[in-house]
Amino acid sequence: MQSSLLAAVPAPPTSFDGATEALAVVVLLVVFAMLREALLRSQVRLYAVQSLAVSALAGVLAASQHAGELYVLAGLSLVLKVVVVPTVVLRLLTEAEVDLAGSHRFGVATMVLVGVAVSVFGFLAISAVHINPSGAAGLPVPALGAATATVLVSFLLVMFRADVVSQAVGFFSMENGVSVASLVIAARLPLILEIGFLFDLLVAVVAFGVLMRAHHRRASSLSTETLDQLRG
Amino acid sequence: MQFPPAAAQALQVLAVLLLAPFVSGAIAHVEARLQGRRGPRILQPYYDLAKLFRKETLAPEGASWVFLAAPIVAFTSYLIVPLLIPVLTDFPLPLGYMGDIMGGGLILALGGFAVALAAADTGDPYAQLGSSRAMTFGALIEPSVLFVVFTVALITTTDLPYAMAAVDRSSLAQAIRPAHLFAAVAFFLVVLSDTGRIPVETHASTLELGMIEEARAFEHSGPALALLKWGSAIKQLVLYVILADVFSAPWGLAGSRQVGSVLLAVPILLAKALGVGMVFAVIDNSFSKLRLYKITEFMASAFALSAVAVLVLYLGGG
Repeated sequence: MQSSLLAAVPAPPTSFDGATEALAVVVLLVVFAMLREALLRSQVRLYAVQSLAVSALAGVLAASQHAGELYVLAGLSLVLKVVVVPTVVLRLLTEAEVDLAGSHRFGVATMVLVGVAVSVFGFLAISAVHINPSGAAGLPVPALGAATATVLVSFLLVMFRADVVSQAVGFFSMENGVSVASLVIAARLPLILEIGFLFDLLVAVVAFGVLMRAHHRRASSLSTETLDQLRG
Repeated sequence: MQFPPAAAQALQVLAVLLLAPFVSGAIAHVEARLQGRRGPRILQPYYDLAKLFRKETLAPEGASWVFLAAPIVAFTSYLIVPLLIPVLTDFPLPLGYMGDIMGGGLILALGGFAVALAAADTGDPYAQLGSSRAMTFGALIEPSVLFVVFTVALITTTDLPYAMAAVDRSSLAQAIRPAHLFAAVAFFLVVLSDTGRIPVETHASTLELGMIEEARAFEHSGPALALLKWGSAIKQLVLYVILADVFSAPWGLAGSRQVGSVLLAVPILLAKALGVGMVFAVIDNSFSKLRLYKITEFMASAFALSAVAVLVLYLGGG
């Protein structure tokens, strides 16, 4: 009787595929949590969680492919994205000492629903591309869908939130989405290129830091709502 | 010795019928302990029901037969669902093919609908407030339920809850596949809101304006009220059983109609339901309630989770 219930059931993904897909989807879900989160500090912490998932993904891939450079990459992104970047941004926030919470331009439910719609687009777009993951032990294609959706929803976060911190965090998490995508498509990318990407992120952190300070000094707020008027 | 199929089926319904007040009582007891109170005894719901069944039924002036029929309709609907889900056996009994997950959801909704009709029939503003809220929130959570059902359908190629449980058991890879995990978490959130725990409802409150489920039965009394209370305990247990036996831990069910294994499944069922109930009680007591109008945030998170489950499946694998 059991077998008749299982007659037409398609085979599940292997546990490697399942685990990596789940991690990639966690990266996506954290962006949704960022959309919902009002407190700026919590948003930065969510970014650390997301980066932890990305580093874990790199670590899992390294372990399955026995690739030393991927271990280095995982370690570097763990140090930079989970520890250094959040610490720097949190310190900047402490110095600013204003706004605890960013402003929402739309209701949370609206943002999440638009986010779901955009993720559907991301997944459908990837399904239309018929991409082959890198090699036999590469990440499964749904992870690429999740990565694309992560980039798109992070973009929404940048657009929907009217404060510098959310926009910076949105930009950083977009970079996380790109990292996941690069792990799927080109896991064995030369290490020097990967490190180049990571340093791009550091430059972005510095740029956003300068932006946050300059904006805070001029407007004594982190909100970008005041930036919609021209000064003569 | 084997149970005849009909007897095993009746035993599933009977187990849910008789254990439901116990589960409610145990949860209320644990909740009281978590809040530093001694709390009612675990068997208190049985005493309450016995007391109510001895009293007379009163109906408000002008209430029609709808008001009197609603508790019976609701009670019956909630008792039909245990025929469709794996309560004691892991294989479908003869009537198990009568309806799929959608069918079960529809029957549960019919019960809620009957109670809402009766509340409207009384003309009591509080009862109507409660029932209109319950219907609105039910409609808001429905998209997540639908996507969970889609996930089940894509994984098992059928909508039978028995098939989902069998697939979960068939291999570890099936149990931990991401689509299943996300759908299970989404369904967990659905049950959390459907049993009046999180996000907005204080189910033990005595303040009429904050009530949702409780307020609906305001005008009922005596045996009718007893049926409604018993019915909502049954509904809660049914949802727990679906969560445990279909989505998260479909182990420990009887594999045959042998008397011994079917009877052994009863205490295992109770243990699982109590486990789920304890998790819910702890969650309920460690998070603050949301403002009423923030409920869409909660619903949107559940929806995002279930939608992602379907998306991952759509791209193959998942």
